[in-house]
Amino acid sequence: MDAHRPRNAVGGQERTRARTGRVRVPAILYAVGLLVVLVLLFTLGNGNFLSLYNLNTIASYGAILLVVGLGQMCTILIGGIDLSVGGLMSLISVVFVVSLKMIGFWAFPLCIAIGIAFGYLNGNILTRIRIPSFIATLGTGGIMTSLALLASPLPVDAPAARYGMLEIVNGSLFKIGNLLLLTLIIFVAFYVILRFTVIGKSIFYVGSNIKMSWMSGIDIVKTRNFAYILSGVGATLAAIFLSCGQYGGDPALGRVYVLNSIAAVVVGGTAMTGGTGGPINTLIGAFVLSTMENGMNVVGVNAYFQQSILGAVIVISVFLTFDRSKVSMVK
Amino acid sequence: MIGDAVIALHAINKSYPGVVALDGVDFSIYEKEIVGLVGENGAGKSTLMKILIGLVQPDKGNITLRGRPVILRDPVDAVRYGIGMVFQDGTLVPNLSIRENLFLCHEIAFQKLGFLSARAMRETARELLARVKVEVDVDTRIAEVTPAVRQMVEIARLLWLSRLYGQQNPILILDEPTTVLTEGERETLFSILQSIKREASIILISHRLQEIVENSDRIVILKDGRNVTEVPSASARVEDIEQHMVGQREPGHTEVLQVEKLALRRAFEQISFCVREGEIVSLVGLVGSGKEEVCHCLNGLGRADAGTVVLGGKRLTPGSPSDAVASGEGHIPIDRRSEGLALGMTVAENVNLLVLNRLRSAGLVSPAQEKRNALRWIEECRIKTPSAATLCANLSGGNQQKTVIAKWLSSRVKLLVLDHPTRGVDVGAKDDIYKLIRKLARDGIGMVIMCDTLEEDIGLCNRMLVMKDGRLVGEVPCPPRKKPSPRDIISLIV
Repeated sequence: MDAHRPRNAVGGQERTRARTGRVRVPAILYAVGLLVVLVLLFTLGNGNFLSLYNLNTIASYGAILLVVGLGQMCTILIGGIDLSVGGLMSLISVVFVVSLKMIGFWAFPLCIAIGIAFGYLNGNILTRIRIPSFIATLGTGGIMTSLALLASPLPVDAPAARYGMLEIVNGSLFKIGNLLLLTLIIFVAFYVILRFTVIGKSIFYVGSNIKMSWMSGIDIVKTRNFAYILSGVGATLAAIFLSCGQYGGDPALGRVYVLNSIAAVVVGGTAMTGGTGGPINTLIGAFVLSTMENGMNVVGVNAYFQQSILGAVIVISVFLTFDRSKVSMVK
Repeated sequence: MIGDAVIALHAINKSYPGVVALDGVDFSIYEKEIVGLVGENGAGKSTLMKILIGLVQPDKGNITLRGRPVILRDPVDAVRYGIGMVFQDGTLVPNLSIRENLFLCHEIAFQKLGFLSARAMRETARELLARVKVEVDVDTRIAEVTPAVRQMVEIARLLWLSRLYGQQNPILILDEPTTVLTEGERETLFSILQSIKREASIILISHRLQEIVENSDRIVILKDGRNVTEVPSASARVEDIEQHMVGQREPGHTEVLQVEKLALRRAFEQISFCVREGEIVSLVGLVGSGKEEVCHCLNGLGRADAGTVVLGGKRLTPGSPSDAVASGEGHIPIDRRSEGLALGMTVAENVNLLVLNRLRSAGLVSPAQEKRNALRWIEECRIKTPSAATLCANLSGGNQQKTVIAKWLSSRVKLLVLDHPTRGVDVGAKDDIYKLIRKLARDGIGMVIMCDTLEEDIGLCNRMLVMKDGRLVGEVPCPPRKKPSPRDIISLIV
């Protein structure tokens, strides 16, 4: 008997744990850690950082970012991306304010319908015409931006007669802003859809392995279209919230939200490779970003330098979550 | 089988909530013999052995030791009567030396004038190891020796213990002793067992039936908690034993799948065949014979130019995997990593993929039901995973494959297309997968299979379809007792 073979002394237990490989720290922990560090740093930098007023500012900005981010997350979970959220937000902002003037309350459902339609369009360009989402949404986003400018080249003010309707977003209930309450409802809705419905869970399967999903009979066309519709709805709601908050529509409203929504998603730990991540990740990511932007202003970081820090955070986040086993060559 | 039984279990009954594990089982062991105990998973082997070593108490029935009734309250009792078991995953302490493990908890036997005699222990240890042909220093730590040596140390310990308690003919129970051994080690084990047999009785449990037939004196077969039969090993045949273990395994008469004149340009032409309930049909042929393409067209992964595929009376839409899946067709792909699993997701999520609709309550997928379903199939398919929430990427190849099978099983498929189901799977897991496939057949699932080797095809299938240059050139029946030889089939293939 070959007795001296020291390393091969494996019992049954070891076998069951075979190939555990290196243990990855869940990406969400990095994000939570970053949030804690940021809060500490900014509080040390300026005592007013933690004032109620400032926290409210952070929360309001974070809420908008979260709503766009949740939609963006669905397209990223599926392994795609939605670069048209910015264009859509600009368009919705103008359409919302203009239509508010004409049809009053019906502006809300009208805008949501437009958001769904554009999301569905994006989805179909990907799933039927088979153009990669990166290019498809870059194109549609450009079209939406131009439509927004055609509709109104300059910012438009909301009609004073309809200010009452803006209270749906601007008002408050038990001293908590409606914006935060609505955002909470939207968050819960996304959470329920992604975790407890068949089509929502399918988003994860498709993002994780689209070929397997197709072979297992998941309707990959429907699932991907659905993800883009969710993205459209998220961008639309965020645009409505923003327009209400500033009592007017702005054809350049969405510009910063393409990068920022993607940043909120990846900083929270949702992988660009698809399949892993979720609403809670995006919640944390959105608040990391809003804390960072606000805090850098509060402690007085040079505005031009802020973009560099933001960019670096995004690159590092992707580095931490990118699943290299999934792509043979990084392009 | 000369003389009286050393120990006899008579009409043993044992039930657990919801399951009858043993239903009136008789089991006797005579002096100086090796008994093979076989049966499928859940046949009651382990419960019976647990009763024999006092770990489990029977509900009914009696145990006699050399004719006198005894009660085995716990394993210590059993050891006193000379009954011991070598477990699958070992019970030795890795940080202690071989010597210390041998005498663990019984060192008192070496007490002289109040002190333990290390010299006496070492000598006895050497003598014991020599008996089981282990040539390792007795002071080596258990963690540093091979599984084979560990097993031998356990055997030596049991022999020594029974000598300590003055038992003339100890009974050793070996549960799957060969799974951790290499080919050479296996032979050594059996030659040692033959020599131990001169003074002991051995109960051998193994799913490798060939091994049992070659190395035991008689074989006891259990099925569903009952004695099926008992055969002398000298005249036993593996196929017969299998037959006894699984019971009747005849494909039904209902046709699950009918393929009519299926054709795909530059791949295959005019293929027609059918698969019946519980029938395993194997497609064989060289690379380029068109068998892979036929399977793809069955699954909807490919679109045939002409012909029809009818599954359970419903014509499948060509080129639509979702229609195939919805009609009850499953597919175990050749490349499980890229086509069979979502590696970045958990075992539970992979197992539940197809049945999410069934796991809903009040319209929403219920996490409790998800977990229940996953655990059930992990158990059923013997997936070795630390938990249901482990990522599939962290499982071994065999367990990943079992996860793919579990996924389809839980969705109640009627027909399963298996594309090289044992590729890249280690030997132990291969057996598990064969068993699963046979179980599927018994449950009435029809199967079209392509295997890695011709022997595997012959062993698994009921009927073999031979393809050559895109045409069906032969059909060879492979019933359990009359398997064709690979040579006959190779002449058809080339």
